[in-house]
Amino acid sequence: MRLEQVDQLIKTEYTFFLQEKKDWSLTAGPQDLELVAHALRVLLHARTTPDFLPDYLGLVACQNADGGWSPFSADSESTVWVSAFCGLMAIRGNQFLHHDGIATSVHRAIDYFLDTQKQDGRWTDPRWADLDTTSHPVSFFNVVMALGEQHRRAEVLRSWESGARFIVDNQSADGGWYDTDFHPSGVEITAHLIQDALIADLVIDQRIKAIRESCTKGAAKLYEWQAQDGSWDEENVDHTMDCTRSLMVVTRALASAQGEEVILRGLRWILDHKNVQGWGDFPGMETNLERTCDGLDTLLKYQAYRQTNPLEVVKLWGYVA
Amino acid sequence: MSDAWHAACPLADLPPGSRKLIKIESVDIALFNLAGTIYAIKNRCPHRSGPLIRGFVDPTGGIKCPMHGWRFDLRDGSSERPAQATTYPTKIENGYIYLAFPSPRLD
Repeated sequence: MRLEQVDQLIKTEYTFFLQEKKDWSLTAGPQDLELVAHALRVLLHARTTPDFLPDYLGLVACQNADGGWSPFSADSESTVWVSAFCGLMAIRGNQFLHHDGIATSVHRAIDYFLDTQKQDGRWTDPRWADLDTTSHPVSFFNVVMALGEQHRRAEVLRSWESGARFIVDNQSADGGWYDTDFHPSGVEITAHLIQDALIADLVIDQRIKAIRESCTKGAAKLYEWQAQDGSWDEENVDHTMDCTRSLMVVTRALASAQGEEVILRGLRWILDHKNVQGWGDFPGMETNLERTCDGLDTLLKYQAYRQTNPLEVVKLWGYVA
Repeated sequence: MSDAWHAACPLADLPPGSRKLIKIESVDIALFNLAGTIYAIKNRCPHRSGPLIRGFVDPTGGIKCPMHGWRFDLRDGSSERPAQATTYPTKIENGYIYLAFPSPRLD
C-alpha cells in the first residue's frame, strides 16, 4: 500500500465529511453528541481544530450542570461514556484553541468523573458495558495527566489508578476482555481497553507494572482474532477500524514490530470495503457518518503510524504532547 | 396514521432459521424466521443505528445488535437497555408474509 494513496483518500473523504457538516456540527442545531465527538476527533487529527472554535463553544454550551454531557445535546441527563468522549475532545482541542471557557469546561468534566466513580474503580453507563465505560474516563484522565492539567491533580491520579486497575484485574487469562451482556466476542472491548485506557501508562509515567504484559496479551489476542481477509468480528467495519487503530498505538508504545502485517491487512480490508464516499457498518451497507469519521480517523492515524518517529501516532491519542 | 398490511415477501424466501432485509416506505426492516414464527423489527438499533439484520439471534427470541450488544425481544422490541426497538406484527396469507406498517390515513 502506498502512502500517497492514503493521502489522496484523506483529502477526498475530508471534503465529503465537511459537506455533511449540518449533520454533525453543533452550530447547525442540537446533535447526537457521540457523533459530534467523532467529528471533532477528525478535525483534531486533520489539524483543522482552530477553524472550528464555534463547534467547541457549542460543546461547552451543552455541558450539563453536573459537568457531564448527555447523548443528545438538548437533553440534560449526563451519562459517562459520552461525557468522557466530549471531555477528551475539549481538553485536546483546547491545546490549539487556548480558550478560557473550554478550560473551565474541562475542570467541570474532571469534577464530574471524580464524583461518579464507583468504589471498585469502575464507572457505569446503561448504554455501554462497565469495562468499556470505565476505559473512557481513564482515557480522559490519561490526557489530563499527559498535558499537565493540575485541577484536583492528586484525586485524578488516585481515580485514574483505581480505574486502570479495575480494567487490568478484569482481563481474562487468554488476554481478552469480555462482557456477557454487551460484548461476548470480546473483540471491540479488547481493542478499546488497550488503546484508550492502558497503553498510555507506558508513555506517561509507568505507574502500574502489569500494564505492559496486559497490553502485550491483549494485542496478541487481537492478532489471533483477525480473520484471514484482514477483518475482525465477522466483517464488522467499526470493529475492524477499532482493532487496526488500537494495534497502531499499542505496538508503537510497546516498540513491537510484530503487529505490522496485521495492521496492514486490516487497513487493506478497510480500504477494499469503503463506499464511493464514506463507510457503512458492514460491507455493502449504506454510508454512515459515524463510520466515515472512524474511517478518516483510521487513515489519519495510519499517516502518523508511517512516520519514522514512533511517537507520532501516539500523539494522536493525546498521550504525548 | 393507522397500520396497514404490506406484502413483505413470499414465505418461501424466508425458510426457518433465515433472515431477510426488506424496505417499506424507505424504512429498512429485518425479517427473521425462528422455527416457523416470523418476526419483523426495524433494522436500525436505537443505540448507535447498528444493523440488526447482522445481529445475533438467541433461542429465547432475542436479537443482539452486532455493534455494541444491545439485546431486543423480537416479539415486542423491549430491552433492558434504555431504548425500545420498533417491531411490526406479521401474518402469513396465501404463502406470503405481510406486516402491519403505519401508513398515512387517506381520509
